[in-house]
Amino acid sequence: MQKTILIPIDFRVASLNTLKYALERSSGNPHHVILIYAEYLEDSITELLFYRPESKIASKITPEFKNALEVLRNRFEYQIADLDIKLFHNRSRRGLRRFVENHQIDAIYIPQTYRLKMPKKAFDLVSIIRQTFVDYQEIDWPQDHSDASEKDHLEYLFNQ
Amino acid sequence: MKTQTKIAVSLVVFNIGLLLLFGIGIYFFLNEYSYVDFYKRLETRANIGARYNLKIDSANAEGFKKIREQHLEKLEAEKEYLIRIIPTVSLEEQATKYHLPLSLLQALMKDGRGRHQEGSTFYGGIKLQHNNATYLSIVSANSRFVSHHLTFLRNILLWGFLFIVVVTVYLSIYFSKHFFDPIKEMIDKVKQISTENIHLRLKEPENNNEISELASTFNDLLNRIETAFETQKNFISNASHELATPLTAIMGEADVALIKERKPEDYQKVLQNVVIQAERLNQITKSLLFLAQTGYKGKKIVLEILRLDEVIWEVKGLIDRLNPENKIQVDLSLLPEDPKKLKINGNKQLLHLALANILNNACKYSHNKPVSVHIGASQDQVLLFIKDQGIGIPENELAFIYDPFFRASNTRLFEGYGIGLPLARNIIKLHNGTLLVTSKANSGTSVQINFPLAKLIK
Repeated sequence: MQKTILIPIDFRVASLNTLKYALERSSGNPHHVILIYAEYLEDSITELLFYRPESKIASKITPEFKNALEVLRNRFEYQIADLDIKLFHNRSRRGLRRFVENHQIDAIYIPQTYRLKMPKKAFDLVSIIRQTFVDYQEIDWPQDHSDASEKDHLEYLFNQ
Repeated sequence: MKTQTKIAVSLVVFNIGLLLLFGIGIYFFLNEYSYVDFYKRLETRANIGARYNLKIDSANAEGFKKIREQHLEKLEAEKEYLIRIIPTVSLEEQATKYHLPLSLLQALMKDGRGRHQEGSTFYGGIKLQHNNATYLSIVSANSRFVSHHLTFLRNILLWGFLFIVVVTVYLSIYFSKHFFDPIKEMIDKVKQISTENIHLRLKEPENNNEISELASTFNDLLNRIETAFETQKNFISNASHELATPLTAIMGEADVALIKERKPEDYQKVLQNVVIQAERLNQITKSLLFLAQTGYKGKKIVLEILRLDEVIWEVKGLIDRLNPENKIQVDLSLLPEDPKKLKINGNKQLLHLALANILNNACKYSHNKPVSVHIGASQDQVLLFIKDQGIGIPENELAFIYDPFFRASNTRLFEGYGIGLPLARNIIKLHNGTLLVTSKANSGTSVQINFPLAKLIK
């Protein structure tokens, strides 16, 4: 049976490790993956008038991130039946709960030690998930803290 | 012709052309219109004149005369003619009698209306029937409008035109000069830069226009040239050093051996050393030759479809034989499920050479600490990561690692000539791949190699 899983990301390669290890742990069934990025909605009227989530998401995807996503899709060709990236604007537990219900999400995976690097206009969903739900699953992977540089690199996906 | 003059000339010509067209247009159309208008006035006067002269509307004839005298301004040199056409008198005779142009009378007889101009005197008239007789009523006058207003307009246009031409010429020359000022400045600066002071750079203007773009492009070019210069300098000094070391050793050994008579064993020892040094020399020249061959693009290499993971395993086997203490770990956790995504176009021997060089370096410079090799594939590339925990490369030396014979400052304790990495890069370039080395001194180096996927016919 296909499972729908939710994973918060920050559009950096490293955050995709959650997905990688979550799928490695799983039984090998096909999954519908929803990657979620949380940011505050703009309050300018023109921004709201021309609001299109697709173009917003496209502007955030870096070539590195795109490559990393492609690597993962190739690796888990069968397990990733479907992959969506969604924006989330509602910083409230109720909003998050409703999002989870609406998308019929079966499992939520969050990074245990990795901290999402969110810019100013965005917010960290991990802590809200921790407060809202009890049945989330935490994923941890070895991280090289010494070179936590600002620059994103595809390399961060390839660790053991 | 300089671009500057070209711009100035074309600006001037274009502007003057437009202006001329405009002025001539105004003058021409006004001229046309004013004639038409004046003729109409003459015809009206001829009509009114005929009416009261012939007393056509007998009741109003006096009124017409009054209106005409009171309200119609006398035109300059206005003259009225009323000619009764008598069949016995020819038109020519009438014309000479009244001093009127014959063509006007003929036109009047034919069409009922006629217009004529002689110098600044205009004629207008109509033909009318009254009491079974034919009359021609003609009015002639000088057009004040044509003689004064149009001339005035012509003068204004002419002076205005001259004024604008002067202004345009001045502005065009000024702007074309002014626009090219920064470029001139740049040319002067670039002229100052020569091989001695290649470190000089152009000043990049703050505003983000084409000029600053040009300056930054120039600077980029200078950067590359400087690097190339440096590379060449390094290459020559390093190459001569590398080639001279074994030669010095050979000469020194031989010299020392020849100082006095020695035992055969000593000679053997010396000769063995000489052979070792000569072999080293041979290896250097061979690898140099190989480097030159792979760097030469014109030579076609034979490509076949290969699975990159297989190549990695083969290279690992090769290194296992040469250096059994290596700890190369191949990580397959991101290996794509579809094996087609691992296939690349490549030459097996060359790829072996390149990857063996990189993996060997990773083992050598990390004292056989674990080296991890990761393979993954994106939509159009096979990605290969090789990470070690070795001594790394100092950051300020990363730019030179592809220079032949360059060796980082922290590699004194390791054997090598500094040809492996440039060779590997040449080979990867031959495969249309990219090689990216990131490193930090004392914490390790990671090498990312991307190869384009082979386009397979499905």
